[in-house]
Amino acid sequence: MDANTIYLALFLYFIVGSIIARQARRKLGSGVNDFFLAGRALGGVIAALTYSATTYSAFMLVGLAGFTYIGGVGALGFELIYLSGLILVAFFGPRFWLVGNRYNYLTPTEMLGDRYESRAVSIVSAVAAVIFLIPYSAVQLIGIGALLEGISGGAIPYIAGVSVAAVIAVYWTWTGGLKAVAWTDSLQAAVMLTVAVLSVIFIAYRAFDGFGGMFAQLEAQYPQWLTVPGPGFFNVNAFVGLTLPWFFFSLSNPQVSQRLFMPGSLGQMRIMVMGFLVFGFIYTLVSIMWGFSARLLLPDLEVADSATPVLLSMNIVPGIVALLVMLGISAAAISTVNSIILSLSSMVCRDVFKNISREIDEERELLIGRIFVPLFTVFILGFATLRLDLIAALSVASSAGLLVMVPALIGAFFWRRGTAAGVLSSVIVGGLTAMVLQYSGWRPLDLWPGVWSGIVAVTLFIGVSLLTLPPEKKAEEFLGFLNRELNRRKVI
Amino acid sequence: MSLKQQRIFWALLFGAMILAAFIVPFLPPLRDLSSVYGAFLFWNAFALVVIICLGIITARWRDDDGR
Repeated sequence: MDANTIYLALFLYFIVGSIIARQARRKLGSGVNDFFLAGRALGGVIAALTYSATTYSAFMLVGLAGFTYIGGVGALGFELIYLSGLILVAFFGPRFWLVGNRYNYLTPTEMLGDRYESRAVSIVSAVAAVIFLIPYSAVQLIGIGALLEGISGGAIPYIAGVSVAAVIAVYWTWTGGLKAVAWTDSLQAAVMLTVAVLSVIFIAYRAFDGFGGMFAQLEAQYPQWLTVPGPGFFNVNAFVGLTLPWFFFSLSNPQVSQRLFMPGSLGQMRIMVMGFLVFGFIYTLVSIMWGFSARLLLPDLEVADSATPVLLSMNIVPGIVALLVMLGISAAAISTVNSIILSLSSMVCRDVFKNISREIDEERELLIGRIFVPLFTVFILGFATLRLDLIAALSVASSAGLLVMVPALIGAFFWRRGTAAGVLSSVIVGGLTAMVLQYSGWRPLDLWPGVWSGIVAVTLFIGVSLLTLPPEKKAEEFLGFLNRELNRRKVI
Repeated sequence: MSLKQQRIFWALLFGAMILAAFIVPFLPPLRDLSSVYGAFLFWNAFALVVIICLGIITARWRDDDGR
C-alpha cells in the first residue's frame, strides 16, 4: 500500500478525532473527577463503546487471528471465556459504582487503600499497575509500528509509525481527559467493528463463496483446527495458563475497572455491560474468522502474527477496505493506550502523590495528573522504540502480574477479615512471582505464570490476613453501607 | 428467592458454566468432532447463554428513581 495514502488516512483520522476531542473538552468540568472520570456521568452507549475500545486492543485482529492461525478453535474458547469474565461485573460493577459515589474514589487502588486503611496498599498497588501496564502499552505501539511498516512495504519506518500513534494518543488524552478519550474511543470502536465485519464478509464471499464454504474447506483441509488441543498449541496447560488471568481482566486491569466508577446510574451501567458483551462477541467471531481465512489462504506463514498484514496486502480485500482495517487496528491500539495513560496518571496523582503529601489541593492534584499524561506517553514510546525481548515478556506477564490484585479486590467486598498486610504480601510476592516465572521461562509442574501468580496471591492474602488484625470498623461501615444499598437496588 | 439465595444460585450456575467451558471441549465427543458443530458451536452457545444470563441479572438493577 502506498505510504502517502496511509499517512493521509492517518492524518484525516487524527483531524476527525481531534475535532471530537475538542468538542468533548467544551463540556469538561474543572475538577479531578471531571478530567479522569468524566464527572461520573457517562451515558450507557458511550460507556459501552469506550469500555469495548479500551478492552480490545490491536491484539484481536493481529494476535488472536495469529492464535487461530496456529492453534485453531482453542483461540475462540480462550477469547469467549475472557468475554464471559463480564460475569464478574454483574457482581462487582454495582459495588464499585456504589462505593465510588459514596467515598468519591478516583481509582480502584485508592478504594483498596481506603478499605484496608493503608496508604501503602494504594501506593504499592498503583506502582504494580504502572510496572505491568507500561510494557503492555508499549506493545500496542509496537504493533502499530510493525503493521504500518509491513503494510507499506517498509516505506513507513517503524519509528514513524509508533511516533504517530503516540502523538495521537497523547493529544486526545491531554485535550479533554476521560471525556475526550471516551468520545474518541466511541469513534474508534465504531471504526474497529464496522471495518472488521466488512472485511471478513469480503474475505468469506470473495475467497470461499461464503462462510459455509470457508468452514467446509476448513473441515476438509484442516480438521484438527476445529478441535482442541487440535494442532497442539492449545493443550490443556496452555489453555488454562492463557485463559485464567484474562478471565479476571475486568477486575484486574485498572484502566477497565476504573470504568465501573463512570456510568451516570446503574441503568447506564447495564447498557455498558450489555453493549460491551454484544460488541465483544461479534468482534471475537470476526477475529477468529480472520485467522481461519489466513490458515486456508496463507498456509506457509512463518510468523503467525503476520497473517493480518499479509492478508491485507492480497487482492481479496478492496484497497479502501484494507486501508480502513489498518485504521481499525490502529484505533484499537490507540484507544487502549490512551485509556491506560489516563488511568496510570490518575493513580500517580491520587495514590502516590496525594498519599505522600496530603497537603495537595485538587487543582495541584489535577496538574500533576495532567503532567503525567505526556510523561507516561514518552516513557511508553521509549519502551516501544527499544523493541527489547524483555518488553514482550513483561507484556505477557502483565495479565499474570495484574491478576495478583484480584484477591484483594474480592476480599474488599466479600471478606471482612482481609488486611493490609495480606494485600501487600499478595501483590508484592505475587507480582514478583509472575515476573520471575515469565522472564525465566520456568514453569514448575508445567503450570503457566498466571496460574502460579494467582495461587501465590490467594494463599498469601488469606494466610497473612488471618495472622494480622483487620480494620474491623472500616469493614463494618464499608460493607454495611453496601449491603443496605444492594438490597434496596435489588443487586445480587 | 431472597437476594442472598439469588447470589448463591447465580454464583453456582456461573461456576458450573465456566468449568464446563474449560473442560467439555477437551473431552469426547467434542475433542474428536472435527466440525463446526463441535467446540466452535459449544463455545458460541456458552457465550450466548452468559450474555442472556447477564441480561436477566442486570435487568433487575434499580436506580434511585425506580428505573
